[in-house]
Amino acid sequence: MIFGVRHSVAVATALGTLAAVIIAVFTWKGAQVTSETFLVTTYIGLFLGALWAMYATGLVVVYTTTGVFNFAQGAIGVFAAFFYWELHVNRGWHSILALFVVVGLFAPALGVVLDIVIMRRLRTASLVVQLMVTVAIMVLLLSVVGDIWEADTARRVPYLFGINNGIDLGPSQLPWHRLIVFVVAIAIAVAMRYLLRRTRIGTAMRAVVDNRELAALNGARPNVVSSTSWALGSMLGALGGILIAPELGLDPATLNNVVIIAFAAAAFGALKNLPMAVIGAMLIGLLRAHTVAWLDFGSDFRFAHLSIAPLLLLFVVIALPQARLEVGRLVHHLRRHERFTKWWEGLIGCGVIILLAVAFSGGWLDFGIWDPGAWGSRELNSANEAMALALIGLSLVPLIGWAGQINFAPLAFAGFGAFVYLKVIGGGWVTFLGLDRLGLDPQDIRDIDNGYWILLVGLLCAPLGALVALPAARLRGLYLALMTMAFAQAMSLIFFPNPWVMPIIGTGRQFPHIELFGVTFNDRRGFFLLLMCVFAVVVYALVMLRRSRYGRRWMAINDSQAAAATLGVPVVWTKVVVYALSAVIAGIAGVFWATVSGNVDSVQGFDLLIGFNIVLLVAAAGVSIPVAGIFLIFIPLFTGLGHRLEDSGNVDFLVTLLDIMTTYGPGMLVLGMVFNPRGAIFEMGRGFSPILPWRSDARAEIAAENAQKREPEIGELGIERPFTPEEVIAIDRRLGILDEVVPKEGYGAARS
Amino acid sequence: MSTESATPLLELVGIRAGYGTIDVLHGVDLRVMPGQVYALLGPNGAGKTTTLGVASGQIHPHAGSVLLDGHEVNGVSPDRLARAGVCLIPEGRGIFPNLSVAENLRMSTYAGVSYKQVQERAFAQFPRLQERRNQMAGTLSGGEQQMLAMSRALSTDPAILMLDELSMGLAPIIVEELYEQVASLAEAGLSILIVEQFAQAVLGVANEAAIMLHGRIQRTGPPAEIAEELTAAYLGMS
Repeated sequence: MIFGVRHSVAVATALGTLAAVIIAVFTWKGAQVTSETFLVTTYIGLFLGALWAMYATGLVVVYTTTGVFNFAQGAIGVFAAFFYWELHVNRGWHSILALFVVVGLFAPALGVVLDIVIMRRLRTASLVVQLMVTVAIMVLLLSVVGDIWEADTARRVPYLFGINNGIDLGPSQLPWHRLIVFVVAIAIAVAMRYLLRRTRIGTAMRAVVDNRELAALNGARPNVVSSTSWALGSMLGALGGILIAPELGLDPATLNNVVIIAFAAAAFGALKNLPMAVIGAMLIGLLRAHTVAWLDFGSDFRFAHLSIAPLLLLFVVIALPQARLEVGRLVHHLRRHERFTKWWEGLIGCGVIILLAVAFSGGWLDFGIWDPGAWGSRELNSANEAMALALIGLSLVPLIGWAGQINFAPLAFAGFGAFVYLKVIGGGWVTFLGLDRLGLDPQDIRDIDNGYWILLVGLLCAPLGALVALPAARLRGLYLALMTMAFAQAMSLIFFPNPWVMPIIGTGRQFPHIELFGVTFNDRRGFFLLLMCVFAVVVYALVMLRRSRYGRRWMAINDSQAAAATLGVPVVWTKVVVYALSAVIAGIAGVFWATVSGNVDSVQGFDLLIGFNIVLLVAAAGVSIPVAGIFLIFIPLFTGLGHRLEDSGNVDFLVTLLDIMTTYGPGMLVLGMVFNPRGAIFEMGRGFSPILPWRSDARAEIAAENAQKREPEIGELGIERPFTPEEVIAIDRRLGILDEVVPKEGYGAARS
Repeated sequence: MSTESATPLLELVGIRAGYGTIDVLHGVDLRVMPGQVYALLGPNGAGKTTTLGVASGQIHPHAGSVLLDGHEVNGVSPDRLARAGVCLIPEGRGIFPNLSVAENLRMSTYAGVSYKQVQERAFAQFPRLQERRNQMAGTLSGGEQQMLAMSRALSTDPAILMLDELSMGLAPIIVEELYEQVASLAEAGLSILIVEQFAQAVLGVANEAAIMLHGRIQRTGPPAEIAEELTAAYLGMS
């Protein structure tokens, strides 16, 4: 212990500071530092910090009073900012009135509705479901904003009292708006601290998270209390969004990404400590302002200054002790009706997928307007994109679905795979390693069948997965989610935009068409087939892995790490393996993903929202079932159908309906997880499997369920009178002794 | 005690209740008269905690009625009953672990007693809590946690107090200390319904006792008589 700080934290802080100083020395602009410029920069930093502190306050308040870490906090702000713009700018309402309507009426109403419709049901859900649902709310809110306020008009939210009015500070002017923001941010933080610690309603808000039943026994109204919490959190998010919008502009993605900075700030306070979160926000603000002012990272790292928050988040999450993160929350465990897929079942299933793909893309199956044989390049392209995303999604199945390790960075792994592939087939390494002197020509590299290189890419991606696994090994749940998110964000800001990583070429394909077994897949139809085959092969491999010793270990650490460890499961090694496997799949998938269009947008292509969407879609389909990803194909199918209906001048409302389904469908599906946490495909499988001739077990299960609905009440448990034969059967059934599911003679005749 | 003519403070009539489709209580009748200390004894799984759940509004019975001071309160939410003076200290440390001791006490103010008074009374009874008033309740020792839970009963003037397995997992000396508090509450005339699995401590305090088995009350009587029958009941010889 050094000054009450743990040794490891102190060492990590020292190393981090040292690294920051070294970077600063190398990137120093050489501008002269005067006390005047220094002060102005500091004032900008503090102002930025205040803006982020407001968001961070909202996050911390919601987390401490509801136990849910709300990824949608930023999106609520986005929606509120647009709504405020609509009222104030578009309809000309007075700013105070508009502010009151949005923050005072709309936001609390939204919070209460969220609580009643969704959050109340999430209380006993697992953390994965909780996180997914708040991410889904975020995505849904952003798509609603995109739908109502289309991006084609330029919008600005004006500063309160204008940018030109304010206090004269000599070298610069402090506009009223910024002063107000600063004062409001600090005032809100202080008020919230007071509310949570010193008032009964604030105490009750936290008490309800701790023990809801006990809070009721004390006389607090738990439902009213948690609705208040959500209303309050929503108000804070809305106010933050409206006050920050004049600075950042009204762009949903930009505004929403502020929330990551707020995450970093909140992590400073271990997600629960308000003063520390505000200090964290100020620190990030100062760092950002001074970095921009004095350092120059060059054009290769032009977004590096934006990565301060994710890097700090990464650092804080890894370095800080993990005390008391787990709130005493009872997670409702699902009863598993899982059955291992037999090797030949998997084989048949994957064969069917490939056959259907052949029939579909060949146009042999005619579905009228659905006929994919008539797919144009537009539909085929989106089908290919969807299948590539489904492939990336497969990497999450063992990681999230089986091992329970939340990962928001699948796209970062996929992008890394694409990068490695680019370098491998580029052939530059031949000269670099001096292999050309052994007679190897870099040109020859391109002639070797791509299949080998793709497999090599997979192998080279494994270490990255293992690297991420090491800090992840000691993290759990929420912190793991935050760490992978920060990792993805840092990669998308520092690594991918670097021109050496993803060279930007004028025209033509950055990623050549894939050549396998002497066939070049250069038309979209053929590539679709290839993607389906790869998908089927990976699914089959996963199904077999689930049956293996590793599959069991992953399930074991998901259920209970402690129990698994006492059984002799090497927990850290198991995690390393599953992360490496996930990285291998994602890396290989990344090659195909990049090859679909041939180019990767190195700046926008790795946006965090896209990664969120992949995780979301996989979760909605059923994250523990490999084949679920195939349902992504419905997105281009619906889009294609919509296009076709539109082209043929068909019914408007159908087009709109399909449009709504593709835009909001995935988000809605995830919200469905509130009621059915295992995803859509699980129920479909339960409905479908009894049709298969060899699945007598599935038929028996359904029969048993139906019988249970009809069975007589067991009631007195045989205390008052002997059991009747019906009751004996009913008890057997409940105990799972299912030798005769439905006796031929009917109830009563059997076992008398 | 001649309480036969008065209205029972708490009365359960023909209560059937349980979890989901499984019934745990199969017709429970129980009356706690004003000023009475009623000990409900029975083995694990007999339905004692469920009975308290019904009486405190946490579990709604499928059949039968719950009467508080003669008024039917079926379906009234637990928080309303709590504000009306029903005080249940649940099994296994009825505290908020992530709230400080003082904040836990603040949560006791819903029943109408001011925060200042709640603190005064609780600290007077358990001076140890005052020393630890800013400590997180989850970091207290088991006995201190139970004291904190009990302080709600001591400081909020409840109409009826229900205690669920007060002694569970505690050192005998602490159990003794807690039951001294219960006894003084009883002397002051508070009606108390105590549920216990191990009966010795309760029988000294109670003036009425009952044995519960398989979801129904098997026998009611003076504590001394019940104590004799208890072993037989536990062994299934009733």
